[in-house]
Amino acid sequence: MTEKSSIRKLIGSVTGGGLKENLQVRLSVPPQQVQEGSFIVIDSQEWFFYGIATDLQLQAVDPRYALEPSRQRLPENLAGLLDQQTLYTNLVVLPALMLEQEPADPEAQMAWHKAIEAGDKEKPNPLPVKSIPVHHADAFLASAGDVAEIFGKPEEEGNFVIGFTREQDHPVCVNLDKLIQRSSGIFGATGSGKSFLTRMLLAGLIDRNRASVLVYDMHNEYGLDDTASDTGQNVRGLRSGFGAARVQVVGVGAGAAIRGSVPDFNLVLGYRDLLPEDIELLTLELNLKETTPTVLDALKQSFGSDHWFKAFKEMRRGAVIENEDGKKVPAPDSVAYWANQCGVNQMAAEGLHDKLRRLFNRPYILENPPADSIQAVMDALKKGKHIVLSFGDFESDLDYLLISNLLTRRIREEWEKITNEFRSGKGQEPRPLVIVVEEAHKLLNRDMASQTTFSTIAREMRKYYVTLLVIDQRPSQIYDEVMSQLGTRVCGWLGDEDDIHAALSGLAGRDALRGMLSRLQPKEEVLLLGWGVPMPILVRSRRYDEQFWKDVKSNRKVGLDQEQVIKKLYPD
Amino acid sequence: MEKIIVGRLLRSNTRACVVGCPPAQQFPAFGSLVSIPLSETEVVYGLIGDIHIDDDGLVRQLATAPSVDEAVIQDNRLNRNVPVEMTVLFVGSKTENRISHLLPARPPLSLDCMYLCSTQELCEFTAGSRFGYLRHILDAQDVPAADLLAAHLAQAGAAQRAQGNSAWFGQAAARIITQLRDDYPRLMPILETLADVENA
Ligand SMILES: Nc1ncnc2c1ncn2[C@@H]1O[C@H](COP(=O)(O)OP(=O)(O)O)[C@@H](O)[C@H]1O
Ligand SMILES: [Mg+2]
Repeated sequence: MTEKSSIRKLIGSVTGGGLKENLQVRLSVPPQQVQEGSFIVIDSQEWFFYGIATDLQLQAVDPRYALEPSRQRLPENLAGLLDQQTLYTNLVVLPALMLEQEPADPEAQMAWHKAIEAGDKEKPNPLPVKSIPVHHADAFLASAGDVAEIFGKPEEEGNFVIGFTREQDHPVCVNLDKLIQRSSGIFGATGSGKSFLTRMLLAGLIDRNRASVLVYDMHNEYGLDDTASDTGQNVRGLRSGFGAARVQVVGVGAGAAIRGSVPDFNLVLGYRDLLPEDIELLTLELNLKETTPTVLDALKQSFGSDHWFKAFKEMRRGAVIENEDGKKVPAPDSVAYWANQCGVNQMAAEGLHDKLRRLFNRPYILENPPADSIQAVMDALKKGKHIVLSFGDFESDLDYLLISNLLTRRIREEWEKITNEFRSGKGQEPRPLVIVVEEAHKLLNRDMASQTTFSTIAREMRKYYVTLLVIDQRPSQIYDEVMSQLGTRVCGWLGDEDDIHAALSGLAGRDALRGMLSRLQPKEEVLLLGWGVPMPILVRSRRYDEQFWKDVKSNRKVGLDQEQVIKKLYPD
Repeated sequence: MEKIIVGRLLRSNTRACVVGCPPAQQFPAFGSLVSIPLSETEVVYGLIGDIHIDDDGLVRQLATAPSVDEAVIQDNRLNRNVPVEMTVLFVGSKTENRISHLLPARPPLSLDCMYLCSTQELCEFTAGSRFGYLRHILDAQDVPAADLLAAHLAQAGAAQRAQGNSAWFGQAAARIITQLRDDYPRLMPILETLADVENA
């Protein structure tokens, strides 16, 4: 800590409060010098307390002083003296952490350091608050040193500067390892800056080589350069930032073009890739009947998981022939014929066939694809490359749900397999993987969550080296159980009460944070929350521009050892 | 420099005393700091909190007369044997050159001499940021406390300013606010009175 970075600005002293109802600080400076969300340090004898400002209230020794402007009755100088003593601002601080201070007395200080060196005493770490500061303890705006003490030093491996404190511009880091140790979420209304923030975090993850990244890029924003919808400026994509050797853009469908460019390769599904359970996940989207599982089951029985899709697709709907008696009966290659043969309700089978016609015609589903592109994606990820799966023209919910679910199911199977191999002493340790899901509520809503692989991944956390980074504008639509598993939450402006409630679910100090979320500056500010950050903090988000890329490149750490990274990620 | 006696003590108690002086003599202004030596090394300080001119039979008669000769009026004013009475509010003391803002241990005795303090002494007594003596003024009964404060602050403020301490008045006002900020109905009129000093 340099001298300058440790200079704190005194703003007042503690006058009351508690663990439950927050701390009260009487300000000695004008209220405008402190803002909601400010990082506050309280120096109380042997302890530092850290918290954030959640409210500012105008107060008066007697309400009459506030009601009647003193300048109306008194000359300027007396009025000033009177106001100074009778009017003040109360700052409400949500305490989050406490840290033992080193003793001020030089001799005691030496003994203290010796004890730590000798291992007789633990090096003090910030702890969750279990007590409160004394009356009249001095309160300060945090210095850069304080921010670094709690959120990590920007120059340290694994730390990534996500933004800056509101008043004083001190850099605030997120720990990338913590970010991906559990699933994380980025929330905010449309236009609040989620995609820009995600680009930066991904750039950090890729740059520091913490994990392989797979992005389900529904709107083709992340891989190639994009144009900002509001400013019209060019927005660099991850592949142009890192080059195709590290980041590959995969386009859905043969011969797909993404924003007019040719992707590195294409993702094409084979008939065999589609399992009946993949269809069940589309129940809502295709408006399937409750008879669907029975029909799918019969199809699987008749033709096997590998061939049911082809067989069903090739059946003719409503085809009839005349029998010997001249009566019209279902043709042998008709849906009805098959249904009757297998004892399946004919209407149910025909209904499903009608609905699946939307799938039968998808151009990215081929009978015999030239290559196993799902395997190619997984191989690239295992090798430490990063994949941006661009949906190109296939931006419909149906395409997004089908492909992302199918691919995620396959990935999880694969990672589970290699993890088990590794645990039984065969094979290499799996490469950590982060799956990035835009519009996450489409995949993780209440109706789907119990069935999708996504919620399984969110729930089992890091067991199989795969975690999610979910991005969504409607967190209230995401299944609560998944929300509660998200370690780090980065939250931009949210207008809807339910969304705010969901974004804060399960966190301490919710009431205080709620108002803060609804008053964030869109596009500029986010609140960092959850297990992955030491305490909630409001930051002005870093700007994503050419300067950002210059900084990333000049900062690049070379020769990072994969084994070490994994050790850090999964210490136990 | 030989000090001029402005009067002699008539009666006293722990908080205050009454001093009389011949009407012919120029008596000190309301709010002035005065001293009453108790011994060689001990002085009591007080503020003139009230000036009182009593009537007598002759004045009453003259007041009812249709016309009074100017010479008679002057004669009555200067040569009457009823003294001008001054109530002096004790505000502190000095023992062996140490100034204290506590009330004197014992009051002065009858016919003790009272002197007017010099600007030098006024500055000395009100020096520093110790304004403890102000409480004696604020607590005083039977004197117009607000105006007494105003008069004192005007005089002491001017004396301090002359010595280069122009912050003194503000500091004193701040101290009064501190003492009375919990008593809005009392503080506001006092501050308004002080405002008049400022404007003057
Ligand atoms: N960190 C940032 N740096 C620069 N511009 C930003 C940043 N965050 C947001 N913006 C601006 O706000 C606009 C909306 O951001 P975006 O990430 O597309 O929102 P969302 O994905 O939440 O709908 C962007 O086009 C950009 O101009
Ligand atoms: Mg977006």
